[in-house]
Amino acid sequence: MKNQNQHKDQNISRKDALHKIGNYGKYAALTAIGTYILLHPKKAQATSPADPGSGF
Amino acid sequence: MDSKIHSLDHTFVFPLITKELENKCVVWFQNSNQYSILEPLAAEIILALSQGKEVPRIAQQLEKELAVPLEQAMNFVIDLRNIFVTPDLEAKSPKVYKRYLYSIPKDFKLTKYYLINTKILKVQFLSQYEASLIHPKFAHLETTTHVYPNAIFQIFKAHNLLYLLMNTELIGSWDKNEIHYFQGKFSMKLIETMYGKLEDQWMGIFHASALSNGKHSLLLSGDSGNGKSTSLALLQAHGFQCVADDFVPIDIEQNVCCFPSGISIKKNSLKTLLPFYPELEHSAEFYYKRLNKIVRYLPPNELSFDKTFPCKALIFIKYDSNVGFEFEEITKLQTFKRLIPDSWISQEPKNVSIFLDWFSSLPCYQLTYSINEKMIHQIGCILNNDL
Repeated sequence: MKNQNQHKDQNISRKDALHKIGNYGKYAALTAIGTYILLHPKKAQATSPADPGSGF
Repeated sequence: MDSKIHSLDHTFVFPLITKELENKCVVWFQNSNQYSILEPLAAEIILALSQGKEVPRIAQQLEKELAVPLEQAMNFVIDLRNIFVTPDLEAKSPKVYKRYLYSIPKDFKLTKYYLINTKILKVQFLSQYEASLIHPKFAHLETTTHVYPNAIFQIFKAHNLLYLLMNTELIGSWDKNEIHYFQGKFSMKLIETMYGKLEDQWMGIFHASALSNGKHSLLLSGDSGNGKSTSLALLQAHGFQCVADDFVPIDIEQNVCCFPSGISIKKNSLKTLLPFYPELEHSAEFYYKRLNKIVRYLPPNELSFDKTFPCKALIFIKYDSNVGFEFEEITKLQTFKRLIPDSWISQEPKNVSIFLDWFSSLPCYQLTYSINEKMIHQIGCILNNDL
C-alpha cells in the first residue's frame, strides 16, 4: 500500500490531505476510485488559539 | 437526499454514516470520529465491509464492474479495509483517562457574577491569572446581582494544570498548551446553562463569526487573521446583529445560537472601527505575547441573547488590501475540507446525520474585499435573498 500525502491547496490544507490507495498501474478504473481525503474535526470544543500568559 | 445512518443495525461490524456530496461520498466513522471523502464506489465497498461481507465476494463484484483482474480488485478491497476499517476498529478500544488528584482551594481571590438573559453565573477565580483567561471577553456581562446563581464555576491552577469545576463537579483539566480547549469547554458549559441544553443537543461549534438580520443568520468563516471579527463589527455598525464571535454554537434544530462574548478587535483594525465605535478608544487593551496580538473587546450591541436563527449561508471571508471586491460561490467539497478541521461536531450519530444534512443544503461562498461598502451590501443581499 502506498500513501501519497499531497497538499492540494495551501489555502485549504492544514489537516486534510489528498491520499491515493495503492498503485494499480494500467488499471485506471481502480486508480480513479482510489483517491480519498481524511478529515478530523476538533476533539473538543475550542476557541481560537489562546495565550497561556505568564501564569503557567 | 438525507444522510444514511448505518450504525443502529447490530449486524454492522462497525458503525458509519454516509452522505452524497456533489459527485463524492462523505463517510463518517463513528469510532475514530473521522470524515472521509471518497468516490461513491469506494464508499460502497466500505459499506459492504461494514456489513460484514467478505473481501473475496466484494472483490468479485468489483472485478465484474470495472473489468479488472480479480487479484487487483482483491488488493484494492484489502487496501480499503486496512486504511479505513482496521484503524476504526482499533479506535473502538476503551480510552484510558488520566485522573488527577486535586483539592479545591479554600480561598478564591476573585469572584465575578455575570448576567446572561435571566441566568446568573458565578465564577470564582483562584487569582487574577485565572480571571485573565475568561473575564476580558465577558466583562460587559458583569453584574452586581449576586443572588441565586444558576451555575457556579470554579477555576484554579494546580500542579501545572488548569482546573474547571461546575457546581463542584470536575469538568476537566488542561495544560498550558490547551488553554483554547479550556476556554472552549467553559464556553460550552456557558451555552448549556444559557439555553438549558446539554452537549448532545448541540450539532456543533464552529470557528466563525455569526450575524443576523433578525430572521436569518450567516456564518463568516476563514483562517485566523482574515478579518472575521472586524467584518462582524463593521456589519454590526450597519444594522446587523452580532450573534457570535469566534465560537458559534448550532443546535440540533440547525439554528445558530447567540454566544454572548465580546468581539475581539485587533489593534490594526482600530482605525477602521473607531469612527463607528468611539468607545474603543478607551477600552482596555490586552497583550497576548505568545500570539503577538493586542486586542480590545467590543461588547455586542444587542445584549439579549435568547434568539436563534436558521443559517442562510456560510461565507469564507477575507480582508485583502490588494483586492477591491470578489465574490463567488464555492463548492461544498472545498468548503467541507476547510470547515471540518476547524470545527467541533457532536459525535452522536443522529447529530452527525443532522450536520451532514444541514451542510449539504447550505450555500457556500468566498468573499474577498477591501471595499467595506461592497462587502456590507453583499452580505445584506445574501441575508435578504437579493442575490
